[in-house]
Amino acid sequence: MSSKAHSSNNIAHARRTVQQLRIEASIERIKVSKASADLMNYCSEHGRNDPLLMGIPASDNPFKDKKPCTIL
Amino acid sequence: MAAEKAEIDALKKECDGLRTKIEAARKAVNDGSMSAAAGGVASVGRVQLKNRKTLKGHLAKIYSLHWAADSRQMVSASQDGKLLIWDCFTGNKLVAVPLKSAWVMSVAFAPSGNLVASGGLDNMCTVYNIKAASPKTLRELDAHTGYLSCCRFLSDSEILTASGDTTCCLWDLETGKQKTVFTNHIGDCMSLALSPDQNTFISGACDSLAKLWDLREGTCKQTFSGHTSDINAIAFFPNGHAIVTGSDDCSCKMYDLRSDQEVIGYQDSSLNAGVTSLALSNSGRLIFAGYDDFNCHIWDTLKGEKVGVLSGHDNRVSCTGVPEDGMGVCTGSWDSFLKLWN
Repeated sequence: MSSKAHSSNNIAHARRTVQQLRIEASIERIKVSKASADLMNYCSEHGRNDPLLMGIPASDNPFKDKKPCTIL
Repeated sequence: MAAEKAEIDALKKECDGLRTKIEAARKAVNDGSMSAAAGGVASVGRVQLKNRKTLKGHLAKIYSLHWAADSRQMVSASQDGKLLIWDCFTGNKLVAVPLKSAWVMSVAFAPSGNLVASGGLDNMCTVYNIKAASPKTLRELDAHTGYLSCCRFLSDSEILTASGDTTCCLWDLETGKQKTVFTNHIGDCMSLALSPDQNTFISGACDSLAKLWDLREGTCKQTFSGHTSDINAIAFFPNGHAIVTGSDDCSCKMYDLRSDQEVIGYQDSSLNAGVTSLALSNSGRLIFAGYDDFNCHIWDTLKGEKVGVLSGHDNRVSCTGVPEDGMGVCTGSWDSFLKLWN
């Protein structure tokens, strides 16, 4: 690769990096305390509907192998 | 030459300035950690799940699994050269899809349940119609110049792929062509996840970065750093406002998208194995992370504490998944077995 092509590659790369960083620098950010509170609220609102958290009664458990019943 | 050097120096200076600006903006909103905020939240106690079923059928290492949208069927991929579709309620195998290339690294179920996709060291993503009398190859998506590490369907007509060639790609399944190529990572892309609203997706790569992308614009919106090695696994928190990553540096991290930074880390000095895969429970309160130490460790998302472990595999846990109804966790391992827990 000629040195001219090489250096224009470097410039193109540097320009893309600057453009990308401009995008990332421009966003609005909320406080971590608010973000944490929102995540905590979501967990607490949905916790009672989370089967892995609440447990699943044997009769409702789709993965549990059902043992055959014998009528004695 | 001198003019070019001057421009490069100016651009480099601007880069440094922007990086400093980003760090300062993140610091300015960093008014407290999540684990401190969650101090008052009730503990989940010890989470003890039982192994309800072991799915046997693969003859070699399992590399990937994905639940169907019905929370009953699940597809797994093994380097024995087969995809197996299971009925997880009965443990029966429903369909076996023989692969042209045995070196599979990823598998996905379409939301419709009609299609599955897989790919790996063949650099391709192959889409199969599994509703036909016998599985039929629908498309071979061939444009990546590196291995296929992850794939996810948006619908029966669009699929997202992540590749060792450092790019992610959105494909049109009607034409078999690339719609959008997402370029910005400087290391192999290892994992991707779609946002709940399907407007964005996240990727984790060997450059130790996680990136958030706008699906339609094709641009990278945010970059998250902090890991010190490859990110192998990535997932959205259920409300789409945060992401969780798992890495070869033996830790998981949660990054909040709106505060643009890490809010809590999940690591333990006794855990010296890389994280291969992860999935969240439906409320987001639990993280199931598969590790190279043959276990799947369970973390309390809010408090950052280890609250349980799924033990039973005889080799690395390579993939982990929770179905949409949240009724269980499935782990897949290099020991060739899949285990269902709840």
